[in-house]
Amino acid sequence: MKAIWSKTCLAMLASAAIGVSATAQAAEDCPIPGNLRVVIGSTSTGGDTYQASSIVVDQLAKKLDINAKVDAVGVMGAFRALERDRRGNTIMVFHDGSYLGNLYGVNGYPDIFESYKVGPTFAINPGNAYLVPKDSPYQSMDDIIAAAGNDKKIRVAIQPGGVSELGFSALKNAVRLEHPGKEGNIVAVNTGSQADKNQLLFDGAVDVINGSVQANEQYTNLPEDDQKAMRFVWLTSPEETIAQTNEEGMGDTTREQLMKYANVDIPMSADSDESFTFDKEFFFLYNKDMDQAAIDCIDDTLAQVFEEDELQQQLKRTFLVPDFKPSTEASEWIQQKNGKYENIINNLKG
Amino acid sequence: MDILSHLTPMFFGLIAAGTLIGIIFGAIPGMTATMAVAVCLPLTYAFGLENGVALLLGLYVGGISGGMVPAVLLNIPGTPSSICTTFDGYPMAQKGEGERALKTGIVASIFGGLFSAAVLFFFAPVLADFAIKFSNVEKFLIILLALTVIASLCSNLLMGIFSGVLGVWLSLIGTYSIMEGGNGETRLMFDFMEYYLIDGFSLLPVLIGIFGLTTVLLDAETGFKGDSEHGRISLKGGKKFSFGVFKGQLTNLVRSSGIGTFVGMLPGVGGSAASVLAYSQEKNFSRDSSQMGKGAPQGIVSSEASNNALTGGALVPLLSLGIPGDSTTAILIGAFTLQGIQVGPLFIGNNMDTWYLIIIALVIANVLMFGIMYFAIRHIAKVIEVPKYILYPLIIMMCVVGAYAINYGIMFDVWTLLLFGVFGWVAHKIGLETVPLIIGFILGKSAEVYFVKSLESYGNYSIFFTKSPIAMFLWVLIAVSLAFAIYLNIRNRRQPEIES
Repeated sequence: MKAIWSKTCLAMLASAAIGVSATAQAAEDCPIPGNLRVVIGSTSTGGDTYQASSIVVDQLAKKLDINAKVDAVGVMGAFRALERDRRGNTIMVFHDGSYLGNLYGVNGYPDIFESYKVGPTFAINPGNAYLVPKDSPYQSMDDIIAAAGNDKKIRVAIQPGGVSELGFSALKNAVRLEHPGKEGNIVAVNTGSQADKNQLLFDGAVDVINGSVQANEQYTNLPEDDQKAMRFVWLTSPEETIAQTNEEGMGDTTREQLMKYANVDIPMSADSDESFTFDKEFFFLYNKDMDQAAIDCIDDTLAQVFEEDELQQQLKRTFLVPDFKPSTEASEWIQQKNGKYENIINNLKG
Repeated sequence: MDILSHLTPMFFGLIAAGTLIGIIFGAIPGMTATMAVAVCLPLTYAFGLENGVALLLGLYVGGISGGMVPAVLLNIPGTPSSICTTFDGYPMAQKGEGERALKTGIVASIFGGLFSAAVLFFFAPVLADFAIKFSNVEKFLIILLALTVIASLCSNLLMGIFSGVLGVWLSLIGTYSIMEGGNGETRLMFDFMEYYLIDGFSLLPVLIGIFGLTTVLLDAETGFKGDSEHGRISLKGGKKFSFGVFKGQLTNLVRSSGIGTFVGMLPGVGGSAASVLAYSQEKNFSRDSSQMGKGAPQGIVSSEASNNALTGGALVPLLSLGIPGDSTTAILIGAFTLQGIQVGPLFIGNNMDTWYLIIIALVIANVLMFGIMYFAIRHIAKVIEVPKYILYPLIIMMCVVGAYAINYGIMFDVWTLLLFGVFGWVAHKIGLETVPLIIGFILGKSAEVYFVKSLESYGNYSIFFTKSPIAMFLWVLIAVSLAFAIYLNIRNRRQPEIES
């Protein structure tokens, strides 16, 4: 009995030692500091950026056996924090808004491809949406484009200079292509948070708002006579992206029902059949001088984490689509998106 | 019943821990309820939704309540919403009535907290529907109504209004942020300042600079030589607390709690506006407001009842619409999204157990806040007996740490604190009134956003008068409030003449 007990103890000690040495080995190979600060380009902890970042950073920290904290400091605060830290203690997570802000010429948005290093992508929010009041005469985006062509002013509530404005620009561009000279009938009503956009719709001060499946789905299930009731008219993500979400969809709206609002025909240029789509993609941003070994380490660790099912399931539960691309691939991909959307924005500038 | 299975020792323990930590955060100048909730938010991931929300609600209630401690004892609002508590709390503390002032505030706080919890429980969906009737126009008018307090609080009407306008001007320095629908352009600064001032001056460093640091500088200027106790203030000199202080205060309690709950329901208007509005209404409509601003318990009652009532009020739009009512509930919503729970108009109906647990947690947090603070305050109040040559360096250290931490480590916030500390001292010398200035600073930015958004949405100035019956009613309140303030100002000026 004593011998068995001794062997068991020995085995446990050996396993623990192997475990400790494996962790130490991982930490040694990976020049990531023991305390990692992840700043995000949003001040909201209720939004998708915080949600996606928290889920992924939590898994990353577990795998690397480090402490990591997500801080919702906002765009300017995050860019500044990133500039200050070359050691890799601070990294940033943001989405397409990081380069769209620069394309729209928003003050304080640098060219991220010049000023920073683009890290891996890790998730897509397929919920970027446009909504109308439930009793709106516009049943679809085609109705809205046609109405603008018939000199009806369409007021769209957006937050300027980012993801929210991109769909608006695409809509305006589509009116320009289908009804040249009538694009001025698509009018932006610049506002801030989702709450502000919703309020404008409740007030009848706008005809369309930018929103999201996560934030607005419950409003779409209210009865038509409710002042707050809304209806989706457009999800900017393509069908292929939405197809990767859970079958149950979000709340009381199934994936199949959501699919109806995707792949809406929003022409991008006169000489192509390509329709506008947009996936809001989350990715890391690093200080320009961050150690390449640390960047590779985050790539490798994330690759391992994404191979396991847990993270993918966590993301899907919150209506996010897992989307891992290592740094080099991600950088090329994001630059490609930057080029594609730059054309639309420039077309409208005339 | 499933709900009973969640009422575990862990649930109650987390509320208690949250309340205690929240009080500590609120009591340290520069640390706020919002910060406490932000720091502890990731913990909710491990605790699950119900326990996580219990912890956060404890932090929220504790943080808002704890803000009164430095406001009364040190003249530094622990949180922006306790600014009006300084007006009467600090003069009371100077008269040796610090404990009395704090206990008055604690009782008013529990009244406000429980009042708003009851309103939340019984009327949340109905009130949320009412709250959405308030467009940018009505919200601008509410801010304007709150700004009328400047007229009641200043000793010299012209200088007070000038100081208030200066405060509004200071609040506009920075960017008209695209996050608020602005153009993202900077204004009211030179190009070289852009790096530091792109987000403008942060509220809390300005607040603790003007209130805390200025007090230290003014005292340092006179020195402590003449004080036999090295600048100590006795706790034994003034009146003791008794519940008799609330005699005749029921109207004030109910009105201030109502204002706090209501303003909390309006997303974006903010806790400071609630406290300022409640204070100004008490000043204008109470039978005798002559002592307000000089150490009247009724001022503390209105401020503390309203800021604690904000907690339940801010949860109304959060849980009924998925829209946070204030900066703290904007972080609180993260606890739900991290668990993948949608918060929107169907939340309460779809999550009845969670809804009941939130109400239970809110009530318990208020009761615990009362228990912890009421019985500990005798000891906490002794901080004022510490000689000033020891206390003041500690206050400065806490202010600097708080200012540095408020935006997660921005050194410019520390410079802001020092700059406004010196500015407050200069303002005192040249006769500028700091209270109207700070009220202008707090409310200025919101006033601008709602004003511009109203014009962008409706296109003409007449909309401010014709938008809705609510807007017209608010104009009546503004007019009455201004008339009362001017009347009081004239009466106060004539009083010494009559007496002489």
